[in-house]
Amino acid sequence: MGFFSKFRKKSPWILHYNTGGCNGCDIEILSALAPRYDIERFGMLNRGNPKQADILLVTGPVTKNCKDVLRRLYLEMAEPKVVVAMGACAHGGGIFRNFYHVENGVNNIIPVDVWIPGCAPRVEALIDGMVEAVEIWEKKSKEKEFLKDHENVIKTLGVEDDG
Amino acid sequence: MINVILTVLAPLIGGVVYGIERVVKARMQKRVGPPLLQPFYDFFKLMDKRPIMIHSLHALMGIMYFIAEWFALAVLLLGNDLLIAVFFHVIAVLALVIGASSVRSPYSVLGALRELMHMISYEPLMVLMVVALYLVVGSFDIRDVLNYEGYPILEIPLVFFAFLLTIPMMLQKSPFDVAEAHQEIIGGPEIEYSGPFYEALYTGKWIEYIYVFTFVFLFGGSHYWLGILLVVLAFLFINLLDNSSARLDFRTMVKFAWSVLIPMAALNVILLALWQ
Amino acid sequence: MGALVTLNIVLPWIAALIIYLAKKDVVTNVLTFLMLPLLSIIAYLAYIQPHPVLIETPKWVDLLITVYDFGLLAYFFYQGIVRKNSLIAILASIQLIFLVIVLLMMNHSLTPNLYIDDVTLMFYLIVAIVGVPIAIFATKYMDYGEKGKHSFVAIVVWFLGVMNFAVSVNNIEWFFALFETTTLASYIMIGFRGDKEAVNNSNLALWMNQIGGIAILLALMVFIKINGVYHFTDLLKNPSLISMAALGFLSLSALVKGAQMPFHKWLLGAMVAPTPVSAILHSATMVKIAPYLILRISPIIKGTLLAKLLIITTGYVFVVAAVIALSQDNFKKILAYSTISLLGLMMLGAAVGTPVAVTASLVLIIFHAFAKGFLFVEAGVLEKVFHVKYINQMRRLIERAPLTLMFIFFGFLNMTFVPFGTFIGKWMMIEEVSNFLQHGSYILLIIYVGAGSAFLSILYMKVLGISVRKAHGIEKINFVKLPATFNFVSVWYYVWLLSMTIFIAPFIADFVVPIAASIAGQADIYATGLTLHMYDSTLYFWQILGALILIFLIHALPYFVKFKADVVHPYNCGEVFPRHMETWNFECIARYEGYFVAFSIALFIMVVVLGGGLL
Ligand code: SF4
Repeated sequence: MGFFSKFRKKSPWILHYNTGGCNGCDIEILSALAPRYDIERFGMLNRGNPKQADILLVTGPVTKNCKDVLRRLYLEMAEPKVVVAMGACAHGGGIFRNFYHVENGVNNIIPVDVWIPGCAPRVEALIDGMVEAVEIWEKKSKEKEFLKDHENVIKTLGVEDDG
Repeated sequence: MINVILTVLAPLIGGVVYGIERVVKARMQKRVGPPLLQPFYDFFKLMDKRPIMIHSLHALMGIMYFIAEWFALAVLLLGNDLLIAVFFHVIAVLALVIGASSVRSPYSVLGALRELMHMISYEPLMVLMVVALYLVVGSFDIRDVLNYEGYPILEIPLVFFAFLLTIPMMLQKSPFDVAEAHQEIIGGPEIEYSGPFYEALYTGKWIEYIYVFTFVFLFGGSHYWLGILLVVLAFLFINLLDNSSARLDFRTMVKFAWSVLIPMAALNVILLALWQ
Repeated sequence: MGALVTLNIVLPWIAALIIYLAKKDVVTNVLTFLMLPLLSIIAYLAYIQPHPVLIETPKWVDLLITVYDFGLLAYFFYQGIVRKNSLIAILASIQLIFLVIVLLMMNHSLTPNLYIDDVTLMFYLIVAIVGVPIAIFATKYMDYGEKGKHSFVAIVVWFLGVMNFAVSVNNIEWFFALFETTTLASYIMIGFRGDKEAVNNSNLALWMNQIGGIAILLALMVFIKINGVYHFTDLLKNPSLISMAALGFLSLSALVKGAQMPFHKWLLGAMVAPTPVSAILHSATMVKIAPYLILRISPIIKGTLLAKLLIITTGYVFVVAAVIALSQDNFKKILAYSTISLLGLMMLGAAVGTPVAVTASLVLIIFHAFAKGFLFVEAGVLEKVFHVKYINQMRRLIERAPLTLMFIFFGFLNMTFVPFGTFIGKWMMIEEVSNFLQHGSYILLIIYVGAGSAFLSILYMKVLGISVRKAHGIEKINFVKLPATFNFVSVWYYVWLLSMTIFIAPFIADFVVPIAASIAGQADIYATGLTLHMYDSTLYFWQILGALILIFLIHALPYFVKFKADVVHPYNCGEVFPRHMETWNFECIARYEGYFVAFSIALFIMVVVLGGGLL
């Protein structure tokens, strides 16, 4: 908790990832960016790049194909980081619950800090969730966070050099 | 004196300029926009992240980019030859490109290659612009340009216009933000940088603002009010263009630079030379 | 002076003969190595003698050279017959006929046949310092599974002597003989490996260069017919009377020798030969005859239509060769194209002909010789030790061949970036021609120089980009132990380049400017301390040093700096399956190569027809 940590809350950068939802939530996120709600007021930016993002905003029930991708995105983000699960599907599958191809929510793959309820949540709810996420984020430290079975996960997700 | 201050405080001033730009852009879109000091908040936040990297070479090149960019600005403002300053800028590009192509990420490599395309689009034009200024003022010395009694903008308007359209290429603004292309290749050369290492790139960009707008300022000659006016107008124009246009293909960019901008500038130079 | 010049020319020949006859490793290695201090000292001693001097030669030398000329052309003719290449035979017979005509027309002249001036002495130094290390390099290079080591080294060393001779002659007929000798040398060296490709390419080199020979003979005829003189110094005495047509032909031969488009193919063909051949052809010798020739006639052609057309042609080649190089994937070919391109720039500077432009041209010649020699030596190391020939094999070179990559990096930086010599040459050129922009050709020149240097930078960055690419963690840097000879040669060039760059201001002001002054008059360039001044512009030492440090850090630091930070995967959309991105091959440019060459032919014809005033 140094001098710089005080300014943390002023610039949360978001990485948004849809793990197979119906896109309803994503439309809400877009409208949050648009002039009417304008979350850039709070310094929030949608970076689309895990390396530079602070908040991972996940929507959708996590299909089996997405599982590893989600893990990797999470691993590529630098600490301190927060995960926000948005919408009913992200919480436990929502309308997709117990389908053959889903993992029933984000929590089964990566640890979640903030839940935003609704299907789809309103933008106000989203902003509220973000504010809460920022509060949690402020208290986090720079320590490395580990996944369940971290070493193995890293190994299976690695990229090798060619030739 | 003012040039020393400008050089030393370049990251600070550049940051404010970037902050202003973000506000102006937001206002153009009828948004409220972030606070003016937002870039600095970002800066502090990035300082506070856990440092991660792909490998040391890559991280190092980011830092070298920042230093080289700053040095190019110092050469421009403290040295006395504009042409040398143009060539110094290439070192910054070198660091950026080597860094970006040193990782196995397709986006980063693609961004680096596109950055090179940017370079062939603006580099010859910068040289031409400096030569045009020489033709007007009779010296490559920046101080002589700033003491020139006449109005360079009136003598080389086409060069100025061509340069105005290359600014988006240098500052990565739409329609020529090909290398960065946030929605397409997610920042290109800067994608793999994170935390403190990204900071170097982020700040390097701010310095680039000052570097570019110094050239705009030169078109005012010794009439500093004109120079400032030009800078403000150029700034607004660039943002307007950025907000109102879609990204072009890099081929279109190179073609545009080579078939429209460079002939235009060359025509202006040759006409002026004949007239003199 | 006469003794020193003779030594400079004959010493390599004697050494070559001994190497050729002895065929012993010890003799070869020791003799080539001895050449370095010997030739350097002789060249230096010659340099500190009062100059320029004209040296009388005995009559029998003249006779000998004439006989030798016939023998050489007969040999070419014979080769044409043996190789069943009618083009070579025809060109050789044309030359024979022309030579007879020239000899019949030639009346006795009292002007001495050797002329030693600053340019000559500069070339002596370049041959000694840049050329000999390549021969040293060849002694080791040929150990890697190549046949005929001794004869090869002998040819290389002999060639150095030929080059020294070529730059000291005054009589254009002698110059023709030596011009053809360099052709012979390149013919032998390119065809050295003796396989089909080598034979084809050597034939190509032979007939293309013979066109240059014909052009010289034509020029000689016109000179003798119209002006009655055939010595370089005589030409300079009353420049205004000299026939433009002859100068046009001379420039034509320079363009051919300098591998300017459309005659660039022979230099590209040289890459099938062992790498030292490319190194020797590209850096210190052979192609440098081209700018040398233009420098000799530059006071005469300055400001004429011929000069302007030369500017347009060579400038065009400067840009287009760099552009075409982008689409190549063979490392040696890329280097060859960049040589062609920079040769264009050198000739361009010489054609502009003002003191500053000539200085720029000389600076380019010197620094290009060093950098290209360096790069080709490293290409040879890559080829033999690491088995890398194409740029897509250069992947992860930073781990596999760290030192070699560092040297290549440095060589590349030398070719375009601030504060190295080539940059300074361009800078001078642009600032100089900004003074006479009223002429269209000069504004074209500025666009050429700006664009060409941008294209070359792109080319080098593209190649470097591949060799540093690595998924994550450059950890296993593998410092392969290289043979001492290779290391010596690399470090030799590296140290020379580095120290010349640090002291570039005094180097240019005290060494290059006097040379240019002997051709075109005193340039307004001087140095205070380590700061370079040109007209009103200044390249401060802090700028040179700053750029040097930056560049140095960029190319050498990656091996030493290890950040203590966690390593993550590169971003790949989160996908696990690997996605590759090599580099662009610029296919879109390769498609237009034909048009580029066609246009260059048009320019070429323009130089001869319009520039020479044949219309
Ligand atoms: S929570 Fe509802 S709106 Fe959001 S993605 Fe799932 S199904 Fe669609």
